[in-house]
This record gives sequence, C-alpha cells and structure tokens, in this order.
Amino acid sequence: MLKKYKPFLRAGAMDTMAYRFNILVWAVITVCQVACLVFLWLAVYRSSEGGIDAVIHGFTYREMISYVVLTTVFGFVTFNNDTLWNINTDIKKGTIGNYLIKPISYRGKFAATSLGSLLMMTLMFGVPLYTAALAVLGSLGFLPDLTFPAFFAHLALFLLSGLCASLLNDTIAYIFGVLCFYTSSGWGLNSLKETLVAFLSGTLLPLAFFPAGLREAVSIMPFAGMSQNPILILMMKYDLAESLRAVALTAAWIVALELFAKLLFSHAIRKVTVQGG
Amino acid sequence: MRYVHLYFTCIKRSMISRLEYKKDTIVALFSFFFSNLCSLAAIYFILQSIPALAGYSLAEVGFFYGFSMLPISLDHLFSDEFWLVAYRRVQNGDMDMHFLRPVPVMFQVFAETFQPEGFGEMILGVALIIVCASNLTVTVSFGSIAVLTVGAVFGAVIITSFKVALSALAFIFKRSGPLLQIIYNFSNYAKYPLAIYPAVIRMLLIFVLPFGLFISLPVDTLLHGTHDPWLLCLAIILCAAVFFALAVRIWTFCERRYESTGS
Repeated sequence: MLKKYKPFLRAGAMDTMAYRFNILVWAVITVCQVACLVFLWLAVYRSSEGGIDAVIHGFTYREMISYVVLTTVFGFVTFNNDTLWNINTDIKKGTIGNYLIKPISYRGKFAATSLGSLLMMTLMFGVPLYTAALAVLGSLGFLPDLTFPAFFAHLALFLLSGLCASLLNDTIAYIFGVLCFYTSSGWGLNSLKETLVAFLSGTLLPLAFFPAGLREAVSIMPFAGMSQNPILILMMKYDLAESLRAVALTAAWIVALELFAKLLFSHAIRKVTVQGG
Repeated sequence: MRYVHLYFTCIKRSMISRLEYKKDTIVALFSFFFSNLCSLAAIYFILQSIPALAGYSLAEVGFFYGFSMLPISLDHLFSDEFWLVAYRRVQNGDMDMHFLRPVPVMFQVFAETFQPEGFGEMILGVALIIVCASNLTVTVSFGSIAVLTVGAVFGAVIITSFKVALSALAFIFKRSGPLLQIIYNFSNYAKYPLAIYPAVIRMLLIFVLPFGLFISLPVDTLLHGTHDPWLLCLAIILCAAVFFALAVRIWTFCERRYESTGS
C-alpha cells in the first residue's frame, strides 16, 4: 500500500543532498540573523528593571538565547518542503493533469517527499547541529543541568514533536498550495503562510510575551506545535505531562487539517484552469 | 529625453503583464502589511516588558523601524529586476536579448520592472513615522529634515549600488543572488538603534555596509542631536557617490566578460 510512495521518499532525500551550496548560503544568512537577535535580546535584558539577570515572562537571557538558536536550527531541519511551490508549478505548467490520472494520491506524494527530506535533513544536519548547539549552550551554562534519564524522555518527545511539526507544516503548505488554484500564483500565498507561521508558532517571539487574551487564543491553535512547543520540550521548560499534552494537540490538529485539506482539494479541483506554461 | 520616453514605455508594458495575476497581487499586498504588522507587534510586546531599549522609548524604536522602510522602499520601486539577474536570468540565458539591443544593458534592466509594492512599504513607513513622532517631543529643525531626506534618497542610491555591483558578478559567475541576499539582509540590523550592538558591529554598519550611516545616524540626529546634520548629509552624499561610481565600474567590467550560457 505504502510501497508506491517510496520513490518520492527517496527523491525528497536526494534533492536535499543536491543543494548543499544553498545550505551553506543559508548558514551565513542565518548566523547573521541570529547574531542580530542575540544583540537585541541582550539589549532588552540589560535595559530591563532587574538588569541582565532578570527573568522576563519566565525566560532568563540565557534561556532566551538558547531558544533563539534552537528554534533556528529546528526551523532549518524541519521546514524544508517545497510543497506549495510544487503545487504552484503543477498548476502553472499544467503538469497537475499527469498526477490526477496516476493511481497515487496527490496529497500522499507530497507527504512522502517532505518526510524523505526531513529524514535526510535530520541525519545530515539535525544530528550534528543539535549536538553542537546543545553542547555549546550547555557548556556556557545556558541550559538547565541535564539529569540523564529525564533528558532522554524529553529528547524522545522532542523528536516525536519534531515529526508532528514537520507533518503539520506540510499539511499547511498543502492547504495554501491548493489555494493557488484560486489565485493562479503562489507568491502572495507563500509569504502569507510564512508570516502567519513565524508569528503564531513563536518563532519570532515566545508566546509568553503575547498579551494574555491573544496568548490563550494562540495556544489552542495548531501553530505553537510547529516551533515553540518542541523547543520548550527540548529545553525541559515543559514537564512530561505538559509535553505529552502539546504533542497530542498537534497530532489532533494534523488529523483535522488533513480532513479540511481533502474537502478543499475536491472543491478546488473543479476550478482547475491549466495555463499550459 | 529619448531614454525617459523609453523608460515609461517599458514600464507600462511591465505593469500590463503584472495585471495578469491580480488576485495574487492583492494577497501579496495583504501579506506584506500583515508581515510588517507582526514584526511591529513583536517589538511592541518585547518593549512592553521593559522600560526602554538601551535608552530608547517605544516610539523612538518605532521611528527607527519606520524610517528604515523609506530608503528600502525607494530602492524597491526601481531596481527589483536586479534580483532576477543575480538569481536566474544570467543562468538561464535570459540576458542575451539585452545585449542585442542598442541601449545600455543596465538601463534595460532598470526599465524591465517597476514595483508598485514599494509604495505600500513607503506608505507604511510614513504612517509609522507619523504615529511615533506624534508620541515624541522632538524639536524639528531644518537640518534634521534635510538629513532624513538625504538619508532616505541617497540611502536608496547606496542600496541600489549594492544591487547593481553584486548582480553584475553574475555575468562572470552565472549566479550571485545568494551573495546579494547576504549583504542586503544586513539592512535588517538598521531597523534598531545602533546602541544595541557591540562596537565592532556598529563600525561595520557605518563604514563597510553603511546601512547605519543613512538610517540610524540621521534618526539619532533628529531624536537626540548626536551629529551635525549638515556634516552627516555631506557624508551620506559622498558615500552614495562613491558606491554608485564603484557599482557602475564593476557593472561595465563584468558586462564585458559576459558569456551566454547558451541555454
């Protein structure tokens, strides 16, 4: 049943291998961005009433810097699918027709490709980058002391929540991709999706900084599971019960949004206008 | 005069081809406002939890952010095509046609696109400046207005010069987009007061990648009178002249070494 998706899994992994140069450029850009954020947060804590060692919304400056570094690595390893762009290209070039007549699900193809990409990214970059980040941050005393059995439980839950985050990200990218059927072009939708996710997932700023009403609203939305929750699980800011609850919420959202995506696709496919390149 | 006419003819054509994706343009415009709103909300939420950022109040930090959008949007209006040259157009052989026409290639690239999105950015920047300024007590002098205007206009010239020079490298290396992206992204640093950075970064942002020179220093001069406005005007104009002259030299140098990829 699942065997026919294996070529796509492999293609996702191979594509990722082929773009090592882009990844180097990404690294330079990212280091500059992270540095900017670190300077900003240091200035924020230095300017706070309690001075540099203040705790702001439950974060010390050490935890905040760890949070910034880890969400960046997490985003790089986890969010690397081209689902939206590929759907957009399929619409523009008319290749969508090829998939509609093949005996595989259009949705399944993308899920498999991004899963393949996730596996390759995790092995090639995730393992060394997380290890390096945790080692450096840990030795600087930026992370809590790792008490070992507990840390492994958190690590396992972190990997699980990372998988959920990647799947959820792919689902959302797919939904926005299907919306391209209606707008005929993906630029606007892509930037809307990126902004929405960056803000509501806590990548830009931990949700603890949001005003109470907004924070509670966002905490039941799917987005926190895509960035903030996995990182707080890894940093052991969530205890095991909270961690499990966060993963369960994300899993429930994946199911709900997949159902929505199915409905949306069956409506959108009737709208399809092939532009023929 | 001929070139002015030619420019408007080309721009008209590019606007017509853009109208093809009307819905997407609307979504893009909306998402642009939304994305800036999110960044501003993030800054607002952070500053809610502290009295002031390195001595700058919320309104002052907002002023920096708003003013940074002016030179960036001016550049955005006129020179967006250079991104495509740097990323794709040399690589896929799309530049050949420009070399066959009896008009300078650089002019043709400028005339290829006009990005009305830049106006959205500019309106948002001006709106933010007005909102923040009305919450501040600043003594507006002729000098500070001059330095802000010079910063915005000649700052745009400096940004465009970076784009021209770095996209020209694609004529030799086929693809220079990533390098351009790295340099361009440093403009994000100038959205905050220079005071939050260590001395090395401050020097870098004034003397090497001068985003701080034409964004942060003029705003500082308005808010706190840190610099002589006329001297700063002179420095910015000189810097823009040097960068632009260098960019044109680099462009002509690289253009002569252009080889079609033939694809």
